[in-house]
Amino acid sequence: MNGTEDSERGLGGDDAVAAEYVLGALDSDERAAAARRVDADAAFAQLVDRWEVTLAPMASAYGSVEPPASVKQAIDRRLFASTAARTVEKAGIWSSLAFWRGLTVAAFAALALYIAVPLLSPPPPAAPAERLVASLAPQQSDVHYFVVYDARTKDIGLSHVTGARAPDRDFELWVIEKNQSPRSLGVIPVGSNVHLAVSQEIQDKIASGAIFAITMEPKGGSATGAPTGPVVASGDLRDI
Amino acid sequence: MTPQDITKLIVRTSMKDRAAFDLLYRQTSAKLFGVCLRVLNDRTEAEEALQEVFVKIWTKADRFAVSDLSPISWLVAVARNHSIDRIRQRRRPAADLDEALDVADPTPGPEALAVAGGERERIYSCLEELDEDKAAAVRGAYISGESYADLAERYKVPLNTMRTWLRRSLLKLRECLER
Repeated sequence: MNGTEDSERGLGGDDAVAAEYVLGALDSDERAAAARRVDADAAFAQLVDRWEVTLAPMASAYGSVEPPASVKQAIDRRLFASTAARTVEKAGIWSSLAFWRGLTVAAFAALALYIAVPLLSPPPPAAPAERLVASLAPQQSDVHYFVVYDARTKDIGLSHVTGARAPDRDFELWVIEKNQSPRSLGVIPVGSNVHLAVSQEIQDKIASGAIFAITMEPKGGSATGAPTGPVVASGDLRDI
Repeated sequence: MTPQDITKLIVRTSMKDRAAFDLLYRQTSAKLFGVCLRVLNDRTEAEEALQEVFVKIWTKADRFAVSDLSPISWLVAVARNHSIDRIRQRRRPAADLDEALDVADPTPGPEALAVAGGERERIYSCLEELDEDKAAAVRGAYISGESYADLAERYKVPLNTMRTWLRRSLLKLRECLER
């Protein structure tokens, strides 16, 4: 918090722009500029979200009007005209880059919600708990990985979302069980989608609810067997 | 449908679950169409906007995870922002005023779609603490998407004066709501 923000009697700076953007009074160019900042600047996006929350009760002024059926048909045409491509989920799901990309974004969203909204009921029974996902969210860094653990194939897939490793450093993946020292799963190979094998010991830890963390380590990984560098991302596993 | 149900539908939509998306459309399209109609004031344009809004919801549902908004408020924000973007890009008089009057009257929606009564009353009582003109300008901008230029013309004040009015009004409004 800077001092001027509190002491001044008017809205100023980014907070004023965020407020005006949400209110809807900006002209076309100003709006477009603000919308670009929402995409690029997380702090600004937060200010906007706060104003959206503040002003949202005014939306009770909007009535409900049933749209004509043609609207949904047009939406379906626009979104699903080439549904042939969607069979990808049947064949080679794990090797599909599109699947990984989609899952990264989608399941991260789902995860954040699972954490934020405890009232969500468990996922449909069709998905057994053999497959778990984790979003390893940045911890004072921009390093973000998405993890899928498959208990049947004893495999951990890591999908790189953001954050580069320093030139002479490696990322190392750890499982941490409550009150126990972290166990290494090894250095995370460079690449956007990589895999690590999982030992029986690690599987047991995962089964008992361990969390994952990524640290920044010297090239080749920690020499001591314990994390030596800062934690750059962490998260825990959830059913999908 | 409870807000939690709508949340689940948004999450499943973000995972590209078409059945969830269809149900989400059935449950919320009337509310969002009401938003588009009110802002755009033109039925054909509102129908196009509603299509675009649901295409956005399909492609950007993951964004909901990082918002503090309730699920229906988030959907309304997508529809409202999109409609205001559209209205800023055209500058012609509204086509059909009668139609606007038809939709101006709020009809209470299903439970999940209604803003909690307490919050609604609170914001309206805070608006009442503002000067009448200023409260009307805030509502005009928020609900109908009127721009600073529109409002300055209507209230016959310079644009910068209107900007100052609204900035001060928003601050007062927030302070009142946080009391």
